[in-house]
Amino acid sequence: MEKVYILGGAQTDFQRNWSKEGKSVIAMLRENIFDAMKDINLTREDIIQLNKDNKIAIFVGNFIAENYLDQGHLGALLTEVDSCFYGVPSARYEAACASGSVAIDAACSKIRDHTYDIALVIGFEMMKTVNSKVGGSFLGKAAFYELEAKDIDFPFPKLFARLADETIKKYNLDEERYMKALSRISYINYSNAKRNPQAQTRGWYMDKKQTLTRNTGTNPIIGGRLALTDCSQVTDGAATIVLCSKDYKEKYYQNTKKPIIKGFGHRVAPMIFGEKMKESKDNEYILPWTRQACMDAYQRASLTVEDIDVFETHDCFTSSEYAAISCFGITDPGKEYEAIENGTIAIDGNKPINPSGGLIGCGHPVGASGVRMMLDIYKQVTDTAGRYQIKDARNAMMLNIGGSATTNYVFIVGKEES
Amino acid sequence: MRQRKHLNSFIRNTDDSRDSYTLIDFIEGIPLPFQTHNQKVVTVLGANGTMGRNVSAIFASFGECIVFMVCRDMEKANEAKELAIQSIRCESIGKNLFPGTYENLDSYIKRSNIVFESVSEDFQIKKNVYQKIKPFLKDDAIIATGTSGLSIKELSEIFDKHKNRFFGIHMFNPPYNLTLCELVTHSDEQRETAIQLKDYLQTKLNRTVVEVKDEPSFLGNRIGFFFIGEAMKLAEKYQDQGGIDYIDSILGCFTGRNMSPLVTADFVGLDVTKSIVDYIYENVLDEYRDSFAAPDYLNQLVMENKLGRKVNKGFYFKDRDRQLNFVYDIKQNNYRLMNNYQFYFANEMIKLFKNGQYEKGINLLIDDESQEATLCKKMLLSYIVYSLKISSEVSTDIASCDDAMATGFSWIPPIALIELLGGKEKTKYLINKYLDARYQHIINDKDFYKCIPEHSKYDFRPFLKAKY
Repeated sequence: MEKVYILGGAQTDFQRNWSKEGKSVIAMLRENIFDAMKDINLTREDIIQLNKDNKIAIFVGNFIAENYLDQGHLGALLTEVDSCFYGVPSARYEAACASGSVAIDAACSKIRDHTYDIALVIGFEMMKTVNSKVGGSFLGKAAFYELEAKDIDFPFPKLFARLADETIKKYNLDEERYMKALSRISYINYSNAKRNPQAQTRGWYMDKKQTLTRNTGTNPIIGGRLALTDCSQVTDGAATIVLCSKDYKEKYYQNTKKPIIKGFGHRVAPMIFGEKMKESKDNEYILPWTRQACMDAYQRASLTVEDIDVFETHDCFTSSEYAAISCFGITDPGKEYEAIENGTIAIDGNKPINPSGGLIGCGHPVGASGVRMMLDIYKQVTDTAGRYQIKDARNAMMLNIGGSATTNYVFIVGKEES
Repeated sequence: MRQRKHLNSFIRNTDDSRDSYTLIDFIEGIPLPFQTHNQKVVTVLGANGTMGRNVSAIFASFGECIVFMVCRDMEKANEAKELAIQSIRCESIGKNLFPGTYENLDSYIKRSNIVFESVSEDFQIKKNVYQKIKPFLKDDAIIATGTSGLSIKELSEIFDKHKNRFFGIHMFNPPYNLTLCELVTHSDEQRETAIQLKDYLQTKLNRTVVEVKDEPSFLGNRIGFFFIGEAMKLAEKYQDQGGIDYIDSILGCFTGRNMSPLVTADFVGLDVTKSIVDYIYENVLDEYRDSFAAPDYLNQLVMENKLGRKVNKGFYFKDRDRQLNFVYDIKQNNYRLMNNYQFYFANEMIKLFKNGQYEKGINLLIDDESQEATLCKKMLLSYIVYSLKISSEVSTDIASCDDAMATGFSWIPPIALIELLGGKEKTKYLINKYLDARYQHIINDKDFYKCIPEHSKYDFRPFLKAKY
């Protein structure tokens, strides 16, 4: 595979409520894109020059700005951010909460085939324009709406609560032990987020007991067996990463070590949750296509789980992180609780998951999450993650999912072997 | 056997997180918790007050402390516990909160590593409480007062051997959202303890700690109420233009805050506002003192019990039935409908900030010479100079003013504001252009100028709201 380098990037402070600040999506994009450009010393003038040679393109990941912002045509929207983007090829990519990843994948393809030298990948979502119930119904469109979301309050918590039910059933788990494992996942994510200066919940108080005590005034049930502490946040945010070709890297960044994207996996499971379960009935994995996406990435990278030092996963709900543990290969399917109970996935464990805080702790602006994850694993392998740095991380893996584990996107990012 | 029974009632609901349980001595009739070896015990005196209960919640949550919430009666204490839980939005801290009354004060104090006093802001009342607790204090107990104004030195004199273990710990309301914590010392002999305490407040209690001297109103309120005081004076001066709502529109959210200054005073309470500015006015005799002179209309409103938002009548009031907003008109001495001021410079700044064009927005303000834009500039520039001056006098670090204003008031921090204006040189030029000699001589002092940091640790962008 042709090498694709990650030069750097930026995310917005996920604690911010842009609607409360009275700010538009243009402000969010402007701040985030110019922060990312600053991070890699790329100027407006550079962009204009690159575009003269048709060597730069922009890939925008977003799920559903049509609903949250009454705005479509999001590739073109960047021309409102700055005139340096006039004429730059730019389009929007969508795969629900995996929109960021599909934008990254498209950018990689265009770099690998030498169409462009450099690509900005921008993921964003502004979700606090509406209340959580209305927002929940927008997000329901990532499921098969007619059947799974129409006239249902908070459809996604209910779908992932079904994943929890099915997991218990499939592996014949002790219910209490499983729920404790989910609580621990939540607690780890909240705790890690305290180390991340851009995390939405970094200032929140959370303790083990609160994550263990569901169905209370401050930890109400949101869907099925999942309570508030099992759910990711409603977040405003954007994340940008800059990718480039080998030639570009060698020309402009020859003296700095930059990591490469070593492998990817992209698999789409049946959209309807019931169909997923039907299909996987006899499979040892409850989410076989999520597992397959991980396997594809390992194979493309010629790496195994042994080689991965840190993971960022899609903990939209605790039950999705739980299932991801075996998909990564950290444990056998059905034994995920072991890696949770024995501290393997904790920040000081052998296979840390979500040192950033993940979607539960760092926040989940849905279209941004895939790009945010890649930015975080980029930080890990370049030793720039600050207080949530995993020591000596060489290779890192991310899993970004859309819908009820329908679109599954996996990337492996690592140091270039010398 | 009886001890056993209590043990069971406390152990219920605990997870694997607690490895060892030690029983702290048991006294008949008072429910006492079990304390792990590294868990601190805190008594909060006056826990029924807003600050008392919210600070209790901070100790019980981030601090994982056992907290005795001492109130005048049990009913108040139980209510305070519920509200404390709500302030953190986390029921699990309930296990650490123990409502109590002054009746059992001795047994609480005997067990406490920290005693936090949050009773009325009255020297005599505080002194009486200190006399009560004095005989029961542990040798190594820390005693702290949450006072926002009174002299720590004077209060400390009631204590003998505990004098150097007495500190001011001034937090802002609500402390869960506003993390500022002013640590006030009164003697150099407290140095070592102060370092440990600061570390505890920062790392354990999640506070943004600034160390301040025992000066009137410390740092945050001194700067904040300088700005509010100046705004109150301007409202009086420009009463023909509308006064209160006129000035608030000039200094609205687009100037780097969640609330304009006179709305803030209304929110804090006009009685509290008055007592803070009066206190500073009486106790500070420098050339900025007049900024704290309470205007007649403030005195009058307080006298008439129009104390602000808590009674829905102060500088503003809202007719909830008719959904109409009224403002106190200084000139007419009555309430009238709020004006919907529209200033060109403000409208343009808001439009630019809305799209994230901060530099253009601030340059527009700099170039606009209308009366309103000029007032706005003068206020922002004097805020910068006064903050830096007070910060360098009252705190150990000149950059403390940024911590204070960002985390105590949610206002754009002064050094971040300098960056927004285009840097130190540009700011100095503007100060010399718009402000009088009192401010010029500070900024033109070469040594002082050199001490001003080039960069703030705060990003100015989130503070600049795209609205009035």
